[in-house]
Amino acid sequence: MRKLLTAQTSIAPLVVFRALFGFIMAVSVLRFVLNGWIYELYVRPTYFFTYYGFDWVVPPGEAGLYVLFGLMGLAALGIMLGWHYRIASVLFFLTFTYVELIDKTNYLNHYYFVSIISFLLIWVPANRAFSLDVRRHPGLRADTVPAWTVNIFKFQLGLVYVFAGLAKLNPDWLLDAMPLRLWLPAHAHLPLVGGLLAEPLTAYLFSWAGAVYDLTIVFFLLWRRTRLPAYLAVLAFHLTTALLFQIGMFPYIMILSTLIFFPASFHEALLDRLRVLWSRIARRPAAVPRAAVSALPVPFRFSRRASAALAVLLTLHVVVQVLVPLRSVLYPGHLFWTEEGYRFSWRVMLMEKAGYATFRVRDPATGRQWEVANWEYLTPNQEKMMATQPDMILQFAHFLEDTYRQQGLEDVEITVEAYVTLNGRRSRLMIDPSVDLTAVERGLRHKTWVLPFAEEQDRWISRR
Amino acid sequence: MTKTYSLVRSLVVGGMLALVVASCDSDPSGPEPPGETFDRSEMLARYGQDLILPAYAALQQSVAALQASASAFTAEPTVAGLEALRAQLKAARLAWQDANLFQFGPAESVTLRAALNTYPADVDRIEANVASGTYTLGTLDNRAAVGFPALDYLLHGLAATDEEVVAAYRDAPDAANRRAYLQDNVDFILNATEATAGEWAADGGNYIGTFLSPENAGTDVGSSLGMLINAFVLHYERFIRDGKIGIPAGVRSAGVPRPTATEAYYAGYSAELALANVRAVRRLFLGNDRADAAGTGLDDNLRALGAGDLADWIEAEMDEAIAALAALNDPLSVQIETDNDAVLAAFTALQDVIVLLKADMTSILGITITFQDNDGD
Repeated sequence: MRKLLTAQTSIAPLVVFRALFGFIMAVSVLRFVLNGWIYELYVRPTYFFTYYGFDWVVPPGEAGLYVLFGLMGLAALGIMLGWHYRIASVLFFLTFTYVELIDKTNYLNHYYFVSIISFLLIWVPANRAFSLDVRRHPGLRADTVPAWTVNIFKFQLGLVYVFAGLAKLNPDWLLDAMPLRLWLPAHAHLPLVGGLLAEPLTAYLFSWAGAVYDLTIVFFLLWRRTRLPAYLAVLAFHLTTALLFQIGMFPYIMILSTLIFFPASFHEALLDRLRVLWSRIARRPAAVPRAAVSALPVPFRFSRRASAALAVLLTLHVVVQVLVPLRSVLYPGHLFWTEEGYRFSWRVMLMEKAGYATFRVRDPATGRQWEVANWEYLTPNQEKMMATQPDMILQFAHFLEDTYRQQGLEDVEITVEAYVTLNGRRSRLMIDPSVDLTAVERGLRHKTWVLPFAEEQDRWISRR
Repeated sequence: MTKTYSLVRSLVVGGMLALVVASCDSDPSGPEPPGETFDRSEMLARYGQDLILPAYAALQQSVAALQASASAFTAEPTVAGLEALRAQLKAARLAWQDANLFQFGPAESVTLRAALNTYPADVDRIEANVASGTYTLGTLDNRAAVGFPALDYLLHGLAATDEEVVAAYRDAPDAANRRAYLQDNVDFILNATEATAGEWAADGGNYIGTFLSPENAGTDVGSSLGMLINAFVLHYERFIRDGKIGIPAGVRSAGVPRPTATEAYYAGYSAELALANVRAVRRLFLGNDRADAAGTGLDDNLRALGAGDLADWIEAEMDEAIAALAALNDPLSVQIETDNDAVLAAFTALQDVIVLLKADMTSILGITITFQDNDGD
């Protein structure tokens, strides 16, 4: 235990991790801006689905958003270069997380992952070598750090994989190869492999291979003798998903992050090469490796008080990280259907869920009834995401209630007819259409107005 | 997506596939030969060549005939000329019901639907334009003063009798201006139609080539099938169910009916247009051409994926919607005022199809609606 937590270990893996993470984040921010998503996701919508308890998080206006993303990009570069590192890491965590909290329509597990990693980076001395901070203040330089500062990231990565793997151990994934059976044939037009992707058997192979990969990869990465083939598997797996699915930067983030499993010698060699390369570019003699100057490596140690505080913080973090993905067991009903405890649990690629929600309004004062044109208030993506997620349906109903109140309709009743198809099953009603949603409170308690999932519901596509 | 990219993609996926297959070679059944794989390109060819191009060709033809009639009428306004012109207008509006499902690509850049068919017509605006004699028909301000609905008013809504209408173009003080406005509006319709059809044509902008190119044969949001489905489902939802039926029936106006918001309010054949449009949607789904001859369509795609029941169900629901629309009487505005329940029943029947199209069908086909990243929630 001491070896894993407090023993001194080379700083190199942490430094490489920091630089690569900062780099890929800078790329991500740039890509987001260049794709026009600031406008698309945070300027164009007039309504935002906030997270429960975070209603105070609102988009700071178009100019404000560009400033926010500018700061985020600078902070990412700061992390990469180790430049005002402490400020940069705090700033990146705050700006990134703030933007993610604006609208749950855009929730992605990998955004949550980025928030967590950037939060952890705040607390570790990842700028104590190979950084602009050390260049400015050589006294900051350290060669070794407490082992936990590296291992916490391995733990976090392992957690993501294992939970993602456990989530795949469900009948839809294993017995019906859903949703891959729906997603893979979409690539049937590709040359060479198109025909194979259209085969149901391929979906089964991918499903089972994916589950085995997620459940075991971290152990193979940890074990020295399997590490290299395991990393090749990481490359193959994530590149395949990158090419087949619209999942953005996530595969590349994982490909770079998992390098942290390699030994210190690998990272030291990498840094030495970079130093040599830099000296050639800068036409300056390479900095003399520390070992050549002094036989004793300089350790970094947290003060006694900081150690105590960090011990509490990290213990809490680990407990929360283990428990939060498990919270879904506290809710009755089918998780994929109710999505109670679904987010923040590393459940990825598990559902092909689509729906159509029609909101009916009744004004008791006049007895008049009508339907809502959702698209007058929501973007197509918001409408699609809302149609399958009960908490968003409730939020939208409350928003409609407020909208009508502003129009002078004091007490309308709002019901919803929401048909949802899950993993190829015939669509059916998800919400009790007789429940007046304006009388339902928001919250984390079990949603009794969500109709039970019908296990026996036929699929359009039968099992082979 | 470039060709190289899709080749690289194939190689990487193929490599992965080989790995997986190799590691599972003890599986006694082994991978099955890709026998009856559905050819999406064949379906796209059917849609592009046999449905979309002919729909625009027919629209262009009937609008050209409309222009000829309009020229004859404005040269010499007579009752016979008015009747001929009205007949051409109706023919063109019916042809439009086959072409309005394809609001993507060229039609989207020309904003064809808004140019040709924004209704209800803004009568005050039209009259102001006629009075002033100076206007630019393509502007946003004039959206409701142009296109078929404006012609609906100009040919059917000016007066009670045919003679009086003709007089408005012959004897009235502003007759010259009115003739010019009529002619300009018809020219405007023809220009927008020709621009769209020309962009699609192989010997024009060759959008048909883009539509049928292998790079666009996927199902993502920028793919040909993705655009086609998103376009026709959106049209069905907002412009058929809502525009033609729901809005006039009061579904979107707090339950207060708006009979004047029907598509052909003055001519009084709105229900007929709605019926023609839903029939066009049905043909599109089935891959049937304008003569209703069968071909490869979305129903076949669903069948090939093993979802034949869904294809059958969608077709049955469409037939029900068609039956509910056929039960409505024209003028639809009168039907709304006398027996709105039948109209609301038609609205519901139209709605039942949308759930299947928008949720079940797109889900089975793997159609996406956004460019944004997604981790398959």
